[in-house]
Order: sequence, then structure tokens, then C-alpha cells
Amino acid sequence: MDEAAGSPAVSRRIAPQRASLRPWLLLMPLLVFLAAFFLVPLAQVAMMSVTEPEFGFGHYASIATDGFYLRVLADTFATALLVATCCLVLGFPLAYAMAAASPNMAAAMMIVVTMSFWTSFLVRTYAWMVLLGRSGPIAALLDWIGLPHGELLFTRFSSTIAMTHILLPYMVVSLYAVLRKIEPSLLRSAASLGASPTSVLRHVVLPLAAPGVVNGLTLVFVLCLGFYVTPILLGSPREQMVAGVIGQQIEEFLNFGEASALAVVLLASTLIVLGLYHRRFGLDKLWG
Amino acid sequence: MRGLLLSLGAVVLAFIAAPLLIVVPMSFSSAASLEFPPPGWTTAYYGAFFGDARWTQPTINSILIALAVAVLTMAMVTPATFALVRHRFAGKSTINLLLMLPLAVPHIVIAIGYYAYLSDLRLLQTFPGVILAHTALSVPMAFLVLSASLKGFDRSLERAAMSLGASPAATFRHVTLPVLWPGFAAAALFAFIQSFDETVVALFVSGRDSMTLPRKMFDSIRTTADPVIAVVSTLLFFTVAALVILPMLWRSFSRSRS
Repeated sequence: MDEAAGSPAVSRRIAPQRASLRPWLLLMPLLVFLAAFFLVPLAQVAMMSVTEPEFGFGHYASIATDGFYLRVLADTFATALLVATCCLVLGFPLAYAMAAASPNMAAAMMIVVTMSFWTSFLVRTYAWMVLLGRSGPIAALLDWIGLPHGELLFTRFSSTIAMTHILLPYMVVSLYAVLRKIEPSLLRSAASLGASPTSVLRHVVLPLAAPGVVNGLTLVFVLCLGFYVTPILLGSPREQMVAGVIGQQIEEFLNFGEASALAVVLLASTLIVLGLYHRRFGLDKLWG
Repeated sequence: MRGLLLSLGAVVLAFIAAPLLIVVPMSFSSAASLEFPPPGWTTAYYGAFFGDARWTQPTINSILIALAVAVLTMAMVTPATFALVRHRFAGKSTINLLLMLPLAVPHIVIAIGYYAYLSDLRLLQTFPGVILAHTALSVPMAFLVLSASLKGFDRSLERAAMSLGASPAATFRHVTLPVLWPGFAAAALFAFIQSFDETVVALFVSGRDSMTLPRKMFDSIRTTADPVIAVVSTLLFFTVAALVILPMLWRSFSRSRS
């Protein structure tokens, strides 16, 4: 893992006295930049939450007591949980199929997943507007089957399905990373010892896949908590997610205090989830 | 059980691919609203995209901003990655976490921070403002890609060069860089795309003159569902396809040659 093990001999020969200072000199530009253009603006959000328009914790008190904010927060968590679950249910068969496929086939499937990953959120959101629109193919299909349906677009359903589609590549990559490492001989020996296919899946594959499942669920859940664009463009205006409400507080009401307090709550929720993951597994594994 | 999982996998693959593909026929549709299948065909909306400064200017802006972001990110992340991968020092794991922080903070949170902070600095709605914000956001991915490639680098190559009398600078230029350039290129590309695609911060900090393409697309989808969106989406789709597929072809080509 760590290449530093071999470095002292070389760096001592080149720069005997500066050995301990050298990494800090190399890091300095980036650290100064991140402090000035990431940490300070982030701290400003926390500041604004208790100083705009005047000093106090009133915004937090109103978030904790106001039915609207509590419902938005509960909706956001429920949606993130639902999207993470949908991604797992859809992602598992695909990752399993990729692990079982021939190398060329798996590479071709990976191209599709990678293309989706790299395609702009906005493009994918727009595509779902077409698919779920009143004169779109899904409405036509439901009409043809004779299934009654209300408006598909601008509902909780449309934003959930689009977010699931957008975040699915993260889940597939997480699961594929663990599934492809499972030795086929392991599955064969389980089967030859009399395990049914279902029990091979339950007692051999799933336990070995567990780290990937946790990985994928954490990534999707955390990314979904902060989703802004898709719920605004596709979701129901009556069932907003917290990021949308934060944006609305700024755009419509210029209420920096309330927006910042909600942002701090969102940030804290995200960091708590990531912190739990970090303590258990180490954050550097999360992004693979 | 296995057969069921495999056929479900195929269905999911179609679920991933279908929305990406649908934008292509939509871009040639003659319908002025969202209608699929298209009632007729036209290339008029391609003309509308390339002939309208309200679309071309944000596209150019986004490319320029993303180029500046890629250069600035690499200039700062490269030395930092060498420090973190090759040196051992106190506080290293904290610095590692700090570099990953922009990936952990939801964009809406830092967007309102930038909105307030950049307006204090009088950089709101300017190119430098957007570039500085996007650079901070692209640090984690560039760092991840670069450190993965640096960790796989065999340092005995450098030691061999230096023991044969090459200076550290010459060693870097003639040994380290030629081996690591795909990693550098990938990291710079990640930074470019991160900036080019970034929507939420751009919505808050870019202005009329520094309007980015995602911001223009967002406004357009939200207000009018302009059919030009399908054209932009198709162009972006084929750009991504080229970026994903060409390196793979190149890799298998060079592998078959060697």
C-alpha cells in the first residue's frame, strides 16, 4: 500500500535536512487553496445559521418544532432509504450477471454502466421527463395494457425512479467489485457438498458480497440525501426534499439564516453516516 | 435461481441504457413538446442549437471554465499527491480526509456558502468565482485517480535512473512522467468533467456572463422544456460515448499489438 517505506533512503540522499519539511511544502498550495475556497465558505454556512439576521439558535429551534421542516426531513430520509433499497434490488442481479459473464461480455456491460455514470444528471433527468411524460412511451404502454394511471410526471414516483436510475451505477460498481472476486470453485464445492442454488446464494455469495452491499448502500443513501436538481425538475412540488427547500429559502425568500441552518442539518446527517462508515471500514474504501 | 438472476440482470441493463438512448431520436423529433415516439423528423433543432448564442455561449463558457479547472486542479493536486503517497508524516490521515471532504459535502450546502462568500469577495457571477468553486469540488476525484496510479508505480525505476546519474528533475521528466501519464490524463479528465457537469454550485454562483451549459439546461428544462435540450443531450451522450469507448478500444488495440 504505502510506497513511503522505500523513500527515506532516496530522499535522505537528495535532501538530508528537509526530509520532514518536504511533504508540507508540496502540500502547501493545495491546503491553502482548500482552506480559502472550501473550508471558509463551509464555515460561513455554519456562521450564517446562527447570525442571520441576528445572533441566536432560533433557526434550529424552528426546524426542530416546525411541522413543515420535520416532514421535509423525514421525507428526505425516507426517499434516500427507498432509493438505496431500489438500487440494491436492481443492482444485485446486474452485478451478479456481470460477474458470471465472460470477460468480453462483462466489459460490454460495464461500458453501459460507465456511460450512464458519466452522462450528465440533467440529460438523464430530461430522459425521464420524456419517458414518463403524458405523451411518452410508458403512459402509452399503460394505456395499451388498460392499466389506469394518473399523472406519472412531477410525482414522488417520477423523482424516485429517476434518482434510482442516476445512482444505480454507484451500486453496481460497488457490488461488482466484491462479486467478481468470489472464486467459482467455492460455489462449485458448496454445490457438490449438497447446497441448493438458493442456499449457495444465501450462505456463500451474500456473506462475501456484504462489504459491497454496505458500500453501495452508504454511497447511494448519502448522495441521495443531498439531491437537488432531479427532485426539483421531476418531483412533486408538494413533497420536496431538503436540498430543494434550502435552495427555495435562498432563491425566493433570501432567508440565508434558515437555509444555512437546514444546510447544517443536512451536512451533519451526511457526515454522521459517513463517520459511522469510516469508523467501521475506512472512508478511502468508499469511493473504491 | 441463477437463471432468474441473469435474466433480471439483463432487464436492469436495459433499464440503465434506455433513458440514455431515448435522447437520440428525441433530438430529431419535429414535435415542439415532449412526445415519444416522435410524430415526424427534422434536424431543425440542431440548427437552433448551433445558431443561437444563448446556447453556444454557455457551451463555450463551460468548456473554458472546465479547462481552467483541470489545469488549476492538476497544478495543486499533483505535488500534494506525491507528498501523500511517498512521504510518511504526522497528520497524514487527517490531510487525506480533508482532501476527500468536497466529495462528502452535499453540493447544495457548499453552494450557499459560495453564494455568500464569493459575493463578499465580489467574485459572484464571474468566471474566476465559478472556476475557484469548481476547482475545490474537483480535488477529491483528481486526487483519488492520481494516487491510485502513483501507488502502482514501481519506484525502483526512479532509483535505477538516479543511480545512473540522472538528476531528480530529469528522472521525473524521462522516467516518472512517461510511465504515469495515463494517470495524469485520467485525473485531468475527471477534473474537467466534474466542472463541465456541475450544476448546483453553478446555479448559485454563475451569472449572465459566466452562465454554464448545465445552468442553461436547467433553466430551459424548468421553464419551457425546449426541444433543443434533446440536441444538447444527444451531443453530450456521444461525447461521453467517445470518451468511454475510445480508451477501451485503444487499450485492447495496444494489447493485441504487444
